[in-house]
Amino acid sequence: MSKIKHFIEQSWLLIIASFFFGLLIATANTVWSPRIEQNKITKINNLMSGLLPKAEKFELAAELQIKSSKGKKVKSNVYEALAERQCLGWAFNCEGPGFADKIELIVAVDKNFEKFAGYAVLASNETPGFGDRIKLSYYRQQFVGAPIGKLEIAKTGDAEKIDSEIVAISGATVSSEAVIKIINSFVVQVKKQMQEKGLIGNGK
Amino acid sequence: MASNGQTTTTLYKQTLLTGLWRENPVFRLLLGMCPTLAVTAAVKPALTMGLSVIFVLLCSNIVVSLMRNLLKPHLRILMFTLTIATFVTIADLFLKAFVPRMSETLGPYVPLIIVNCIIICRAEACASKNNLFISIIDALGMGAGFTLALCVLAGVREILSTGAVWEIKVLPAWFVPWAALSMPAGAFITLGLLLGLVNVISKKRT
Repeated sequence: MSKIKHFIEQSWLLIIASFFFGLLIATANTVWSPRIEQNKITKINNLMSGLLPKAEKFELAAELQIKSSKGKKVKSNVYEALAERQCLGWAFNCEGPGFADKIELIVAVDKNFEKFAGYAVLASNETPGFGDRIKLSYYRQQFVGAPIGKLEIAKTGDAEKIDSEIVAISGATVSSEAVIKIINSFVVQVKKQMQEKGLIGNGK
Repeated sequence: MASNGQTTTTLYKQTLLTGLWRENPVFRLLLGMCPTLAVTAAVKPALTMGLSVIFVLLCSNIVVSLMRNLLKPHLRILMFTLTIATFVTIADLFLKAFVPRMSETLGPYVPLIIVNCIIICRAEACASKNNLFISIIDALGMGAGFTLALCVLAGVREILSTGAVWEIKVLPAWFVPWAALSMPAGAFITLGLLLGLVNVISKKRT
Protein backbone atom coordinates (compact mmCIF):
# COMPACT_ATOMS: atom_id res chain seq x y z
CA MET A 1 0.00 0.00 0.00
CA SER A 2 2.79 2.38 0.94
CA LYS A 3 4.53 1.58 -2.35
CA ILE A 4 1.43 2.60 -4.32
CA LYS A 5 1.12 5.78 -2.26
CA HIS A 6 4.78 6.57 -2.92
CA PHE A 7 4.32 5.92 -6.65
CA ILE A 8 1.29 8.23 -6.83
CA GLU A 9 3.02 10.93 -4.78
CA GLN A 10 5.99 10.91 -7.12
CA SER A 11 4.22 10.65 -10.44
CA TRP A 12 0.75 12.21 -10.19
CA LEU A 13 1.85 15.35 -12.02
CA LEU A 14 3.46 13.31 -14.78
CA ILE A 15 0.31 11.18 -15.21
CA ILE A 16 -2.03 14.19 -15.31
CA ALA A 17 0.31 16.12 -17.64
CA SER A 18 0.61 13.11 -19.99
CA PHE A 19 -3.16 12.80 -20.14
CA PHE A 20 -3.64 16.54 -20.73
CA PHE A 21 -0.89 16.79 -23.37
CA GLY A 22 -2.18 13.65 -25.11
CA LEU A 23 -5.62 15.21 -25.27
CA LEU A 24 -4.14 18.42 -26.68
CA ILE A 25 -2.27 16.57 -29.45
CA ALA A 26 -5.30 14.39 -30.24
CA THR A 27 -7.47 17.53 -30.59
CA ALA A 28 -4.95 19.24 -32.87
CA ASN A 29 -4.63 16.07 -34.95
CA THR A 30 -8.40 15.62 -35.26
CA VAL A 31 -8.92 19.23 -36.30
CA TRP A 32 -6.06 19.47 -38.80
CA SER A 33 -5.65 15.93 -40.20
CA PRO A 34 -8.37 16.31 -42.91
CA ARG A 35 -6.57 19.43 -44.11
CA ILE A 36 -3.18 17.66 -44.06
CA GLU A 37 -4.62 14.75 -46.07
CA GLN A 38 -6.18 17.19 -48.53
CA ASN A 39 -2.82 18.96 -48.95
CA LYS A 40 -1.18 15.65 -49.87
CA ILE A 41 -3.88 14.81 -52.41
CA THR A 42 -3.71 18.32 -53.89
CA LYS A 43 0.05 18.07 -54.29
CA ILE A 44 -0.11 14.70 -56.05
CA ASN A 45 -2.94 15.96 -58.30
CA ASN A 46 -1.00 19.11 -59.18
CA LEU A 47 2.08 17.10 -60.08
CA MET A 48 0.04 14.69 -62.21
CA SER A 49 -1.73 17.59 -63.94
CA GLY A 50 1.66 19.09 -64.77
CA LEU A 51 2.76 15.81 -66.36
CA LEU A 52 -0.49 15.09 -68.21
CA PRO A 53 -1.94 18.60 -68.76
CA LYS A 54 -4.78 17.46 -71.02
CA ALA A 55 -6.29 15.25 -68.33
CA GLU A 56 -9.49 16.54 -66.71
CA LYS A 57 -9.32 14.24 -63.73
CA PHE A 58 -7.31 11.43 -62.20
CA GLU A 59 -8.96 8.30 -60.85
CA LEU A 60 -7.27 5.76 -58.64
CA ALA A 61 -7.07 2.63 -60.81
CA ALA A 62 -4.95 0.24 -58.74
CA GLU A 63 -2.98 -0.07 -55.54
CA LEU A 64 0.10 -2.15 -56.31
CA GLN A 65 2.87 -3.64 -54.20
CA ILE A 66 6.19 -3.02 -55.92
CA LYS A 67 9.59 -4.37 -54.91
CA SER A 68 11.99 -1.42 -54.64
CA SER A 69 15.68 -1.57 -55.63
CA LYS A 70 16.49 -2.35 -51.96
CA GLY A 71 14.12 -5.33 -52.01
CA LYS A 72 11.51 -3.60 -49.83
CA LYS A 73 7.82 -3.78 -50.78
CA VAL A 74 6.50 -0.31 -51.58
CA LYS A 75 2.89 0.68 -52.17
CA SER A 76 2.37 2.33 -55.53
CA ASN A 77 -0.94 3.95 -56.39
CA VAL A 78 -1.70 4.01 -60.11
CA TYR A 79 -3.99 6.81 -61.31
CA GLU A 80 -5.78 6.85 -64.63
CA ALA A 81 -5.72 10.22 -66.39
CA LEU A 82 -9.12 10.87 -67.97
CA ALA A 83 -10.49 13.43 -70.42
CA GLU A 84 -14.04 13.05 -71.75
CA ARG A 85 -14.08 9.53 -70.25
CA GLN A 86 -11.12 8.55 -72.42
CA CYS A 87 -7.89 7.29 -70.92
CA LEU A 88 -5.00 9.64 -71.72
CA GLY A 89 -2.35 7.95 -69.67
CA TRP A 90 -1.32 6.67 -66.28
CA ALA A 91 0.55 8.14 -63.35
CA PHE A 92 2.01 6.33 -60.37
CA ASN A 93 4.22 7.05 -57.40
CA CYS A 94 7.60 5.42 -56.89
CA GLU A 95 10.54 5.79 -54.54
CA GLY A 96 14.11 4.73 -53.92
CA PRO A 97 17.40 5.86 -52.41
CA GLY A 98 18.98 9.09 -53.61
CA PHE A 99 22.32 10.70 -52.78
CA ALA A 100 21.28 12.12 -49.41
CA ASP A 101 17.90 10.61 -48.66
CA LYS A 102 14.93 8.82 -50.19
CA ILE A 103 13.64 10.25 -53.49
CA GLU A 104 9.88 10.03 -54.14
CA LEU A 105 8.65 10.54 -57.69
CA ILE A 106 5.44 10.68 -59.68
CA VAL A 107 5.94 9.06 -63.07
CA ALA A 108 3.49 9.49 -65.93
CA VAL A 109 3.23 7.28 -69.01
CA ASP A 110 0.99 7.18 -72.09
CA LYS A 111 -2.21 5.11 -72.20
CA ASN A 112 -0.50 2.06 -73.75
CA PHE A 113 2.44 2.13 -71.38
CA GLU A 114 4.81 2.59 -74.32
CA LYS A 115 6.27 6.06 -73.74
CA PHE A 116 7.05 8.20 -70.73
CA ALA A 117 5.07 11.42 -70.29
CA GLY A 118 7.61 12.59 -67.73
CA TYR A 119 8.28 12.57 -64.02
CA ALA A 120 7.96 15.00 -61.14
CA VAL A 121 9.66 15.00 -57.76
CA LEU A 122 7.24 14.42 -54.89
CA ALA A 123 9.90 14.58 -52.16
CA SER A 124 13.68 14.67 -52.07
CA ASN A 125 16.51 16.01 -49.94
CA GLU A 126 19.22 16.09 -52.60
CA THR A 127 22.12 18.54 -52.33
CA PRO A 128 20.94 22.11 -53.01
CA GLY A 129 22.43 23.50 -56.20
CA PHE A 130 23.54 20.05 -57.42
CA GLY A 131 21.41 16.96 -56.81
CA ASP A 132 18.23 18.97 -56.43
CA ARG A 133 18.50 19.87 -60.13
CA ILE A 134 16.63 16.60 -60.79
CA LYS A 135 13.59 18.86 -60.23
CA LEU A 136 14.53 21.15 -63.12
CA SER A 137 12.98 20.86 -66.56
CA TYR A 138 16.43 20.61 -68.21
CA TYR A 139 16.77 17.08 -66.85
CA ARG A 140 13.10 16.11 -66.68
CA GLN A 141 12.45 17.01 -70.34
CA GLN A 142 14.73 14.16 -71.46
CA PHE A 143 12.16 11.67 -70.16
CA VAL A 144 9.19 13.13 -72.05
CA GLY A 145 8.56 10.80 -74.98
CA ALA A 146 11.35 8.36 -74.03
CA PRO A 147 10.44 4.72 -74.73
CA ILE A 148 9.34 2.55 -71.79
CA GLY A 149 12.05 0.05 -71.08
CA LYS A 150 15.47 0.19 -69.54
CA LEU A 151 16.69 3.78 -69.42
CA GLU A 152 20.44 4.27 -69.36
CA ILE A 153 22.59 7.07 -67.96
CA ALA A 154 25.20 8.83 -70.09
CA LYS A 155 27.76 11.29 -68.72
CA THR A 156 27.88 13.25 -71.98
CA GLY A 157 25.65 13.46 -75.01
CA ASP A 158 22.83 15.40 -76.57
CA ALA A 159 20.25 16.10 -73.87
CA GLU A 160 17.71 17.22 -76.48
CA LYS A 161 17.68 13.86 -78.23
CA ILE A 162 14.77 11.79 -76.91
CA ASP A 163 15.73 8.16 -76.53
CA SER A 164 16.49 5.66 -73.78
CA GLU A 165 19.82 7.38 -73.04
CA ILE A 166 19.52 10.10 -70.40
CA VAL A 167 22.34 12.63 -70.05
CA ALA A 168 23.30 13.03 -66.38
CA ILE A 169 23.30 16.38 -64.60
CA SER A 170 26.84 17.70 -64.39
CA GLY A 171 28.01 17.48 -60.76
CA ALA A 172 25.06 15.34 -59.74
CA THR A 173 25.62 11.99 -61.41
CA VAL A 174 24.53 10.03 -58.32
CA SER A 175 21.16 11.82 -58.09
CA SER A 176 20.64 11.55 -61.87
CA GLU A 177 21.39 7.84 -61.75
CA ALA A 178 19.14 7.38 -58.69
CA VAL A 179 16.15 8.78 -60.61
CA ILE A 180 16.79 6.41 -63.52
CA LYS A 181 17.21 3.39 -61.19
CA ILE A 182 13.94 4.20 -59.40
CA ILE A 183 12.03 4.63 -62.66
CA ASN A 184 13.57 1.51 -64.23
CA SER A 185 12.75 -0.68 -61.24
CA PHE A 186 9.16 0.56 -60.90
CA VAL A 187 7.97 1.00 -64.46
CA VAL A 188 8.58 -2.62 -65.48
CA GLN A 189 6.82 -4.02 -62.41
CA VAL A 190 3.91 -1.57 -62.63
CA LYS A 191 3.42 -2.41 -66.31
CA LYS A 192 3.53 -6.15 -65.61
CA GLN A 193 1.02 -5.94 -62.75
CA MET A 194 -1.26 -3.67 -64.79
CA GLN A 195 -1.24 -6.23 -67.61
CA GLU A 196 -2.01 -9.01 -65.14
CA LYS A 197 -4.95 -7.01 -63.82
CA GLY A 198 -6.14 -6.42 -67.38
CA LEU A 199 -5.93 -2.64 -67.07
CA ILE A 200 -3.70 -2.39 -70.12
CA GLY A 201 -3.14 -4.64 -73.12
CA ASN A 202 -0.24 -7.06 -73.45
CA GLY A 203 1.23 -4.98 -76.24
CA LYS A 204 1.27 -7.84 -78.62
CA MET B 1 6.88 52.38 -4.42
CA ALA B 2 7.76 54.20 -7.65
CA SER B 3 11.31 52.95 -7.31
CA ASN B 4 10.05 49.37 -6.94
CA GLY B 5 7.96 49.75 -10.09
CA GLN B 6 10.94 51.20 -11.94
CA THR B 7 13.16 48.30 -10.80
CA THR B 8 10.58 45.77 -12.01
CA THR B 9 10.29 47.52 -15.39
CA THR B 10 14.08 47.57 -15.70
CA LEU B 11 14.18 43.85 -14.85
CA TYR B 12 11.60 43.04 -17.54
CA LYS B 13 13.45 45.20 -20.07
CA GLN B 14 16.76 43.55 -19.22
CA THR B 15 15.24 40.07 -19.45
CA LEU B 16 13.87 40.89 -22.89
CA LEU B 17 17.11 42.42 -24.18
CA THR B 18 19.34 39.68 -22.75
CA GLY B 19 18.09 37.19 -25.34
CA LEU B 20 18.50 39.66 -28.16
CA TRP B 21 22.18 40.45 -27.61
CA ARG B 22 24.05 39.72 -24.34
CA GLU B 23 22.94 36.09 -24.19
CA ASN B 24 21.80 35.63 -27.77
CA PRO B 25 21.22 31.85 -28.10
CA VAL B 26 23.03 31.58 -31.44
CA PHE B 27 25.77 34.22 -31.40
CA ARG B 28 26.65 34.20 -27.69
CA LEU B 29 25.56 30.83 -26.22
CA LEU B 30 25.99 28.75 -29.40
CA LEU B 31 22.78 26.84 -28.71
CA GLY B 32 20.43 25.38 -31.31
CA MET B 33 23.23 24.91 -33.85
CA CYS B 34 21.39 22.13 -35.75
CA PRO B 35 18.57 24.33 -37.15
CA THR B 36 20.93 27.30 -37.31
CA LEU B 37 23.09 25.51 -39.85
CA ALA B 38 20.37 23.48 -41.57
CA VAL B 39 17.53 25.88 -42.35
CA THR B 40 19.34 29.13 -43.07
CA ALA B 41 19.86 28.73 -46.82
CA ALA B 42 16.99 31.22 -47.31
CA VAL B 43 15.14 33.76 -45.14
CA LYS B 44 11.63 32.23 -45.44
CA PRO B 45 12.45 28.85 -43.83
CA ALA B 46 14.67 30.58 -41.27
CA LEU B 47 11.81 32.89 -40.23
CA THR B 48 9.35 29.99 -40.08
CA MET B 49 11.76 28.02 -37.89
CA GLY B 50 12.26 31.08 -35.67
CA LEU B 51 8.51 31.60 -35.25
CA SER B 52 8.01 27.89 -34.48
CA VAL B 53 10.72 28.09 -31.80
CA ILE B 54 9.09 31.24 -30.32
CA PHE B 55 5.74 29.39 -30.11
CA VAL B 56 7.26 26.29 -28.48
CA LEU B 57 9.47 28.34 -26.14
CA LEU B 58 6.57 30.55 -25.07
CA CYS B 59 4.17 27.64 -24.43
CA SER B 60 6.75 25.49 -22.64
CA ASN B 61 7.92 28.40 -20.45
CA ILE B 62 4.30 29.16 -19.50
CA VAL B 63 3.54 25.53 -18.58
CA VAL B 64 6.84 24.98 -16.75
CA SER B 65 6.47 28.23 -14.80
CA LEU B 66 2.91 27.35 -13.78
CA MET B 67 3.89 23.92 -12.46
CA ARG B 68 7.31 24.92 -11.05
CA ASN B 69 6.24 24.47 -7.42
CA LEU B 70 4.84 20.99 -8.13
CA LEU B 71 7.90 19.63 -9.94
CA LYS B 72 9.85 16.79 -8.33
CA PRO B 73 13.57 17.58 -8.90
CA HIS B 74 14.42 14.13 -10.28
CA LEU B 75 11.44 14.17 -12.68
CA ARG B 76 11.83 17.73 -13.94
CA ILE B 77 13.75 16.93 -17.16
CA LEU B 78 11.12 14.32 -18.05
CA MET B 79 8.37 16.89 -17.50
CA PHE B 80 10.23 19.50 -19.58
CA THR B 81 10.69 17.06 -22.47
CA LEU B 82 7.06 15.98 -22.32
CA THR B 83 5.90 19.62 -22.40
CA ILE B 84 8.24 20.59 -25.23
CA ALA B 85 7.37 17.50 -27.32
CA THR B 86 3.67 18.34 -27.06
CA PHE B 87 4.03 21.87 -28.39
CA VAL B 88 6.51 20.83 -31.08
CA THR B 89 4.02 18.22 -32.34
CA ILE B 90 1.30 20.89 -32.45
CA ALA B 91 3.61 23.30 -34.32
CA ASP B 92 4.53 20.52 -36.78
CA LEU B 93 0.87 19.63 -37.42
CA PHE B 94 0.03 23.33 -37.88
CA LEU B 95 2.77 23.80 -40.48
CA LYS B 96 1.71 20.63 -42.33
CA ALA B 97 -1.89 21.84 -42.42
CA PHE B 98 -1.44 25.52 -43.28
CA VAL B 99 1.99 25.91 -44.92
CA PRO B 100 2.68 22.45 -46.39
CA ARG B 101 5.41 23.64 -48.74
CA MET B 102 7.32 25.25 -45.90
CA SER B 103 6.81 22.14 -43.79
CA GLU B 104 8.43 20.10 -46.56
CA THR B 105 11.29 22.57 -46.87
CA LEU B 106 12.00 22.39 -43.14
CA GLY B 107 11.73 18.59 -43.23
CA PRO B 108 12.82 16.89 -39.99
CA TYR B 109 14.08 20.11 -38.39
CA VAL B 110 10.67 21.06 -36.94
CA PRO B 111 10.29 17.77 -35.01
CA LEU B 112 13.93 18.21 -33.97
CA ILE B 113 12.98 21.36 -32.00
CA ILE B 114 12.19 18.84 -29.23
CA VAL B 115 15.92 18.40 -28.67
CA ASN B 116 16.77 22.07 -29.21
CA CYS B 117 18.95 23.07 -26.24
CA ILE B 118 17.56 26.64 -26.10
CA ILE B 119 14.12 25.47 -25.03
CA ILE B 120 15.18 22.99 -22.37
CA CYS B 121 17.83 25.50 -21.20
CA ARG B 122 15.22 28.26 -20.68
CA ALA B 123 12.85 25.83 -18.94
CA GLU B 124 15.61 24.85 -16.53
CA ALA B 125 17.35 28.21 -16.09
CA CYS B 126 14.36 30.55 -16.10
CA ALA B 127 10.83 29.14 -16.19
CA SER B 128 11.34 26.61 -13.37
CA LYS B 129 12.64 29.35 -11.07
CA ASN B 130 10.63 32.44 -12.00
CA ASN B 131 7.05 33.67 -12.11
CA LEU B 132 4.83 33.48 -15.18
CA PHE B 133 5.42 37.05 -16.39
CA ILE B 134 9.23 36.83 -16.27
CA SER B 135 9.05 33.43 -18.02
CA ILE B 136 6.92 34.88 -20.83
CA ILE B 137 9.27 37.82 -21.31
CA ASP B 138 12.29 35.51 -21.25
CA ALA B 139 10.68 33.26 -23.89
CA LEU B 140 9.91 36.24 -26.11
CA GLY B 141 13.40 37.70 -25.73
CA MET B 142 15.24 34.42 -26.32
CA GLY B 143 12.88 33.43 -29.15
CA ALA B 144 13.28 36.82 -30.84
CA GLY B 145 17.07 36.61 -30.43
CA PHE B 146 17.13 33.16 -32.01
CA THR B 147 14.84 34.26 -34.87
CA LEU B 148 16.89 37.40 -35.48
CA ALA B 149 20.15 35.42 -35.60
CA LEU B 150 18.65 32.86 -38.00
CA CYS B 151 17.31 35.60 -40.28
CA VAL B 152 20.63 37.50 -40.35
CA LEU B 153 22.51 34.29 -41.20
CA ALA B 154 19.90 33.31 -43.81
CA GLY B 155 19.85 36.83 -45.29
CA VAL B 156 23.61 36.82 -45.87
CA ARG B 157 23.56 33.30 -47.33
CA GLU B 158 20.53 33.89 -49.57
CA ILE B 159 21.83 37.21 -50.96
CA LEU B 160 25.26 35.83 -51.76
CA SER B 161 24.11 32.43 -53.04
CA THR B 162 21.20 33.63 -55.21
CA GLY B 163 21.53 37.41 -55.47
CA ALA B 164 18.05 37.67 -53.97
CA VAL B 165 16.46 37.99 -50.57
CA TRP B 166 12.90 36.77 -49.82
CA GLU B 167 13.05 35.69 -53.49
CA ILE B 168 13.36 39.36 -54.58
CA LYS B 169 16.42 40.12 -56.69
CA VAL B 170 18.62 42.66 -54.90
CA LEU B 171 22.02 42.25 -56.51
CA PRO B 172 22.81 43.40 -60.08
CA ALA B 173 22.68 40.95 -63.00
CA TRP B 174 26.49 40.86 -63.33
CA PHE B 175 26.81 39.33 -59.85
CA VAL B 176 27.83 35.67 -60.04
CA PRO B 177 25.99 33.79 -57.25
CA TRP B 178 28.16 31.87 -54.79
CA ALA B 179 26.20 28.60 -54.83
CA ALA B 180 28.54 27.13 -52.20
CA LEU B 181 26.98 29.38 -49.56
CA SER B 182 23.63 27.59 -49.90
CA MET B 183 25.36 24.30 -49.06
CA PRO B 184 26.25 23.00 -45.58
CA ALA B 185 29.84 24.25 -45.86
CA GLY B 186 28.47 27.73 -46.61
CA ALA B 187 26.45 27.62 -43.40
CA PHE B 188 29.56 26.88 -41.31
CA ILE B 189 31.62 29.58 -43.06
CA THR B 190 28.92 32.26 -42.72
CA LEU B 191 28.22 31.37 -39.09
CA GLY B 192 31.94 31.50 -38.30
CA LEU B 193 32.32 34.92 -39.91
CA LEU B 194 29.24 36.29 -38.12
CA LEU B 195 30.44 34.90 -34.77
CA GLY B 196 33.76 36.67 -35.34
CA LEU B 197 31.95 39.91 -36.18
CA VAL B 198 29.77 39.66 -33.05
CA ASN B 199 32.88 39.09 -30.93
CA VAL B 200 34.62 42.13 -32.43
CA ILE B 201 31.55 44.33 -31.79
CA SER B 202 31.22 43.00 -28.22
CA LYS B 203 34.89 43.71 -27.47
CA LYS B 204 34.58 47.24 -28.82
CA ARG B 205 31.52 47.87 -26.64
CA THR B 206 33.25 46.75 -23.42
